[in-house]
Amino acid sequence: MALPLPPGLTPPEIAFLCEMELVTVIPRQRLEGLELLGGPLKPLNPPQRSDISLWLALLLKRQRRANILPPPWLNTHSLTAILDHETEHGDTFSPPPRLPPQPSDNTLPISPPFLPTSTADAAPDALPYHWLELGEMLLEAASDDFEEPDQVRKLLRGLREVRMSKLRSGVEVLDAAGGIKMNGVGGMEVGEGRSFITGVIDGLRKIGASREQQRKDRDAEEAENGYSGTAGDYDDDEMDMQ
Amino acid sequence: MDIDDLLAEVAVDSTPEESRDLQELTRAWVAERTAPEILNWPEELMERVLERVRRQIELVEDQTGNMDPKTNFKLIVIQTELERFKFLVRSFLRARLNKIDQHPLHIRAQHTASLDSTQPLLSPSELQYLTSHQALLSQHYSASFLSQFPASLQRLDDTTGGISMVDKPDEDRAVFRQMPRIE
Repeated sequence: MALPLPPGLTPPEIAFLCEMELVTVIPRQRLEGLELLGGPLKPLNPPQRSDISLWLALLLKRQRRANILPPPWLNTHSLTAILDHETEHGDTFSPPPRLPPQPSDNTLPISPPFLPTSTADAAPDALPYHWLELGEMLLEAASDDFEEPDQVRKLLRGLREVRMSKLRSGVEVLDAAGGIKMNGVGGMEVGEGRSFITGVIDGLRKIGASREQQRKDRDAEEAENGYSGTAGDYDDDEMDMQ
Repeated sequence: MDIDDLLAEVAVDSTPEESRDLQELTRAWVAERTAPEILNWPEELMERVLERVRRQIELVEDQTGNMDPKTNFKLIVIQTELERFKFLVRSFLRARLNKIDQHPLHIRAQHTASLDSTQPLLSPSELQYLTSHQALLSQHYSASFLSQFPASLQRLDDTTGGISMVDKPDEDRAVFRQMPRIE
């Protein structure tokens, strides 16, 4: 029964996480309000827009019960601007969307996928945490809701290339003191690089630790040899005991 | 802070408990899947979630006979969500079981140490699993070969001689951590 997977989320698990993102739909059929496990679902009344989870939006879309409004950052205009920003700034990722304020009571701060970064009124100029997964899923299930799906797909691919090469170039500085600024990096991108990057860091750490141990051993040895004269006697003593 | 921030803050405060529990459970799942060591058992959260799942299953069973197409579709939505929730809970528990299987003795010691604090490390059923699994294992070991060894070499949790037999997860392992904001 134990999970046979290594630590770190796998791509399907990241996609599962992404399906909790809120998106805006225009329902084509009425749906009464439902008491779901993750909170109540408001009734859907066409043609009123409604923000619902992506998994539900995809379910409705596949059954032709709703149309999905692509988020404002997922169109040719915004993506071109972001792609330009990515190519101009060679060593940083484009900044993530602005965060809503911290809840005032002592609840957990909200983090993706529960931030409304992909609804119709999200920021048009920033890629949210699940940009790649969400874009792919919408293009796959709801390409007819896009104005230029092929163009959008091409831009997404371009963005992915540029950003992956930035992530890869960061690998060179992975040694103990190195650091990469990862602001704005996406969930799937972390998932893709995770096993390699953590593997390299851990490998280097172990090499570093054994070197450190060797150095300590040598120091200890030298300190011991420092009391020369007694060292020889010590060995003899041990021989006698055997 | 402008008017949007104020409005958003009100919206956050009025989030229903169910939604907050989903967020908390999701976070616990991600943390458990990525952390090298086992994390504290979120007892209250799991009680609430499991109780809700149980009620939802009853609801689905009640209404399955209903062939009215409208109710039928409602049921599909409810069932889809139920399955997603069950996956989340199951994957969370299985990730924990995996860690228990890998480092049983270390985790048992940690759990015993955590009993004094307000939040024990394992749930009662996890502890039961660990104890009975471990009992079976050591029984099997001693029946098949350990009993042939000298008594001083029969222990499975020997810590003498500078090397501990109790395996520990690599707690220094590199992980990715998301910082939604820097205070």
